[in-house]
Amino acid sequence: MRKAAETIALRIWDGVRAVYPLLLLLVVWELVARAGLVRPLFLPPVSVVLERLYVTATDGELWPPLLTSLYRSAAGLVLAAAVGIPIGFLVVRNRFVAWFVDPLVAFGSPAPKLALIPVFTLWFGIDNLSKIMLVALTTVFPFMLSAVAGARTVALNQIWAARAMGSSEATLLWRIVLRAALPSLMSGLRVAVPTALLTTFTAEMVAGGGLGGALIMAQRYFESATVYAYLLVMLICGYLFDVELLRLRRKVLHWYEG
Amino acid sequence: MSAAGTASRGIRILSKAGPFLICLALWQAITMLGITDPAFLPGLGAIWAAFRDLAGETTLWVDLATSLITAALGLLFGILIGVPLGAAMALSPRADGFFGPIIKATYSLPKSALVPLFVLWFGVGGLTNILATVLTTLLPIVIYTYHGVHGVPRLFLWSAAAFGTPRWKTLTRIILPAALPAIFTGIRIALGFAFIVTIAAEMIVSNHGIGKLMFFFGDSGSYNYMFAAVITIVVAAYLADRAFVIFTDHILRWQEPAERHA
Repeated sequence: MRKAAETIALRIWDGVRAVYPLLLLLVVWELVARAGLVRPLFLPPVSVVLERLYVTATDGELWPPLLTSLYRSAAGLVLAAAVGIPIGFLVVRNRFVAWFVDPLVAFGSPAPKLALIPVFTLWFGIDNLSKIMLVALTTVFPFMLSAVAGARTVALNQIWAARAMGSSEATLLWRIVLRAALPSLMSGLRVAVPTALLTTFTAEMVAGGGLGGALIMAQRYFESATVYAYLLVMLICGYLFDVELLRLRRKVLHWYEG
Repeated sequence: MSAAGTASRGIRILSKAGPFLICLALWQAITMLGITDPAFLPGLGAIWAAFRDLAGETTLWVDLATSLITAALGLLFGILIGVPLGAAMALSPRADGFFGPIIKATYSLPKSALVPLFVLWFGVGGLTNILATVLTTLLPIVIYTYHGVHGVPRLFLWSAAAFGTPRWKTLTRIILPAALPAIFTGIRIALGFAFIVTIAAEMIVSNHGIGKLMFFFGDSGSYNYMFAAVITIVVAAYLADRAFVIFTDHILRWQEPAERHA
């Protein structure tokens, strides 16, 4: 009993230690704002921001733009995975594809693709499609690179063994290559998801709609508390997705050590 | 270099350029066959003409310089703050305990979303864009420096201590050189981020810079000019990355090539 209480106290202490700098920051923010050291337009107190967040969440103002942004990110990610992962596997299996794709990836992967926002707006309009396509373009590279890295880890004698036992190409791909590439693909996903959110929010700030557009509107009307509240939502979104991805990784890869 | 060596080098470059040439040929074929509206997809000739027109005036160069200076200053301050911070976090548990949670919590925030906020504080352009770039470049530099300093072999540190090396000298002569490959990797990632955020900030709100220029041409329907501006900044980012890799390879020439890009 005493031991249990001790472990609980220890865990609470660990929790406090893990977040105390953040709490400290929030307290300093609140005090600075309350003391009137800066104008509320620049820095509204934390309590006001949280209250504003609560109000937008309960009166429903927050949800439609947030869901729009999340839908755009998710659709772009699905598209990028559907295109990038097969191409990545092909690069490993086919020399011609490798010859064609490798230089394009070397150039495209570090290129500042957000520069294409005006181009995509021109091609795909100002609504969902242009954002989805841009997310697909920015996230296709991490998927492709992680698929290549993952497929390279497949041991050749595993492929030979499967072939010798009469596996078809499809079975080979599904049962062996995809499984072996899974750890690498999960790492790719962990890069792709924050990239997707960044792309969506930025494109929306430039070309309207979604949470990014809502943030810009709030700023234009000098609703500082709303600006901070939406920033907080973006931060929490990114954080939650990362935590969930790590959990998913542990669950999917329970057989994989390292 | 022998003639055969030069020839094989030429073939290698040609083979690497092949995919790009195929893509450009496809682009040109599509525009020439009139499959798409030329306003939506201008031909390569029209874009080249637009670029030459822009290059003849000062606006393009002033805007390009604005973007490059913003990205460079952002990266510079990112390095000046990020490297000491990352090293301090790796060397001192107290610094790690304080800054670790803050970095973890802000890691997932898309930094370009801070631009509207900074506009409230510092006005349009200038400092706002530089600050957004600093914050973005900071994270990869801190994280890679942290891992680089963490990864310095204990044996090096013990040997230095055994010889009575002062702490300051251990830092500058042993820890930093050993962590340099990782730091450079972080800076290379940050360099890419610097371009992205600079352009994004300029597109969101700004009066200058390539991002602003692209957006202006897109809004006014001069799409061949818009494409010319987009291609200019993409090529500039590519050249900056290449230059940095060459610089890194030169500085780290004492290292095994495989370990240069940690």
